[in-house]
Amino acid sequence: MSLLSTRCSAKLSWINSPRILKCSRSESTALHFYQNKQLELYASKEPKPMTLRQLVFFGRSMDEDRLVKSANYVRTELPVRIAHRLRDLQKLPYIVVTQEGISKVYELYWSAFEKFRKYPPITNLEENAAFCEFLAGLLDEHATVIPNLSLGMSLSSPYLAPDDLDSFMRRMLVSRISRRVLAQHHIALSEIYAGKRKLWESAEPNVGIITTGLNVKVSIEKCANLLRNQLLEIEDAEGNAETPVEVVVEGHVDMRFSYIREHLEYIVFELLKNSIRATRIKQAGSTNLPPITATIAAGDNAVGIRISDQGGGLFTPQNPIQNPSDLFSFSHIRNSARMEHSRLISLRTASSYHRGVWATVNEQVESWKRSPDPEKEAGVGRHARMGIGLPMSNIFATYFGGSLDLKSLDGFGTDAYVRLPKLGTNLETVNF
Amino acid sequence: MNFPTRLFKKSTLSFQSRRCYIRRAPAPNPREVTELLTKYASSPHRPLNLSALLSFGRPLTPDAVLASVSYSLEEIPRRLATRVQSLEALPFIVGTNPYIASILSAHRESFMWLATYPTPSTLEENAKFAETLEALVEKHANDIPTIAKGFQECSKYMTNAQISEFLDGAIRNRISVRLIAEQHISLSRAIHEPNHPNVGVVNTQCSPADMVRMCGSFVSELCEATLGASPVITIEGDRDATFAYVPVHLEYVLTELLKNAFRATVEHHSKRNRGRSSIPPILTTLSAPLRLPGSTSNYFSIRIRDQGGGFPPADILQIFSYAFTTAGRGASGDDGSGGGPYAAQHVGGIAAIGDGGMGEGNLFGEITGKGLQTGLGTIAGLGYGLPMSRLYAKSVLLMQIVNI
Repeated sequence: MSLLSTRCSAKLSWINSPRILKCSRSESTALHFYQNKQLELYASKEPKPMTLRQLVFFGRSMDEDRLVKSANYVRTELPVRIAHRLRDLQKLPYIVVTQEGISKVYELYWSAFEKFRKYPPITNLEENAAFCEFLAGLLDEHATVIPNLSLGMSLSSPYLAPDDLDSFMRRMLVSRISRRVLAQHHIALSEIYAGKRKLWESAEPNVGIITTGLNVKVSIEKCANLLRNQLLEIEDAEGNAETPVEVVVEGHVDMRFSYIREHLEYIVFELLKNSIRATRIKQAGSTNLPPITATIAAGDNAVGIRISDQGGGLFTPQNPIQNPSDLFSFSHIRNSARMEHSRLISLRTASSYHRGVWATVNEQVESWKRSPDPEKEAGVGRHARMGIGLPMSNIFATYFGGSLDLKSLDGFGTDAYVRLPKLGTNLETVNF
Repeated sequence: MNFPTRLFKKSTLSFQSRRCYIRRAPAPNPREVTELLTKYASSPHRPLNLSALLSFGRPLTPDAVLASVSYSLEEIPRRLATRVQSLEALPFIVGTNPYIASILSAHRESFMWLATYPTPSTLEENAKFAETLEALVEKHANDIPTIAKGFQECSKYMTNAQISEFLDGAIRNRISVRLIAEQHISLSRAIHEPNHPNVGVVNTQCSPADMVRMCGSFVSELCEATLGASPVITIEGDRDATFAYVPVHLEYVLTELLKNAFRATVEHHSKRNRGRSSIPPILTTLSAPLRLPGSTSNYFSIRIRDQGGGFPPADILQIFSYAFTTAGRGASGDDGSGGGPYAAQHVGGIAAIGDGGMGEGNLFGEITGKGLQTGLGTIAGLGYGLPMSRLYAKSVLLMQIVNI
């Protein structure tokens, strides 16, 4: 009898031996594999996207019933969206998901999914208050997702085709914004109803997190003022780091529309930041820097904002790219700056620091104000560039069906074109 | 700076959830491992040079053995690195399957052991190395059924085409790794036992007729035990011919083909005749190549002929794909199996009594419903026999060693 045949019987019984699940780490991932059915159940449902108008309309006349309804919509919709992201992560190559950053995000999402899945239905205001606390806690917990994901995807560049990498990142980030919009909107509505938040905190009317009379000129000027004298991170500082750069606003300056203020201001803020930085570097040495021009255009369906600078254009030594849209890419093949040591370090710092990155103007302003900044003192200041401003701006712009385009006049300057839908009738782009 | 890969926010995690924390995404490879893997996987690909491999044994000298060990320590880690990388490129969810995960970690371990092993410079050092190498080979003996089980469980996460592509590469790789390893182990043994009959993995006097007889008798016993009856096997043609070949490979191919032939014959016969006439025999024909001047024929031919009823045209395209099996066909409502690809089969354990569904011949129905197996081994069910046999046959086609 040959060796082969005696091996046969030994082979088969070995498979069922508990030796396969020997160490605790493989035990937990094995359990995880077999528990996937729950996830697949949720992922088989389609997300139900909303339009801005629906979110506003729903929030206008609030009563207990509606609030409870809103709570349960959030409670059932969010796990579906998270489930789709988890399945997406599961399809990535094994070596990618075990990378630093991605594995952390995977665990965070699983934990959130489980918590939502087990959360009981909400029936009254008290339970809603508890639910809002639960939501706020999750928002906090997931604060580090953006830098973790950026870090992980940059490290995974060698293992994924650039197209796959970027489309994956896009799906992750858009879904993230959508979930946060729903959660924050609901929390805001609950707080307003409970009288904890004044209805109109600013001069502009709002419903939840949506400002229904958002004044574009005022937002642009606010961002410009915040940036005017701010020392920006210029690692290769040839430019005069403190010379003020003026921002001139022109065009349809009375334009008002319904939008989420935080999103609009983040986009404008980041674009202005880039323009100012580029202007200072390009025009190093001169004291009178050319201003940045922000033009507002009110179309029938969309609001346009053009931000023009004389910063020398996009194809500079700082940007190792082939065409402007490469700046939105996380792949080091499209943009080798993604693998720069300083970038990776600042992403690592941001991902381990509990404050995380929320991608808002406020968090950046707050961090400037924290002076002396204990992080900076300790040498771990979050002042080095992470490189997520443009990709995130792109995501924010396209979330309700808008767009962001960059045009370079090589050697002269850059024009950034933002288009945001005005009527509030576009659906969130969450169905992939 | 060292950043921990998991951070707990104490305020948001209750004591309870911290206690039951399950780590879902495994930690990445340590840096040395990744570096070594990249280094070996990127070194230029050298196809298995069989005559070079065999030349280490002719003549068998200490120098030749040391040359053989150098060769092994170059060629095996490179192939293992490729295998680790292709496992790591599988979708994440597939990688968390415990069977696939165990294969991945086993390969990683073996790779690291070989990649960091100092090259033996004396026969004593080599003897120690060969001993451990043999243990390593033994450790990986069950890889194919393990990976088969893993893919069975992951069938909804990958397409058949993706799985086939992966398995083709993996098995081809495995065949060459084992060939190199077994060759070296065999030489290391032979140099210490001068009268050992086989030098290396190739038997220059391999007799197909003997192999057919041996495999035939094993399969016959298996068939008898599983299905209750067995045809006889007859051999005609160049019964006394021998040629140079790797006996283990030939044994595998013959066993798989005979298993198919025997099973088909018994099942078909029982369906048609209910034991009224005797089971038709399996007819094997052997033909040695003509060594005429100018002849281009270098192949030994073996024909295995059965009267097992043939198979429908629809199946022809599938038979060489992995995990396609007709075992279980006819059993009703059984885990959704129906004989199509990845039909649920039990691997391991004794076949439970299922519901008969083969119509007449209930005995067969019960057993085919759960994969045909006994303590001797499976006669059918994994669906890997034909594709693997083909890979084995093709891999050693490279050998034009008629004249050795």
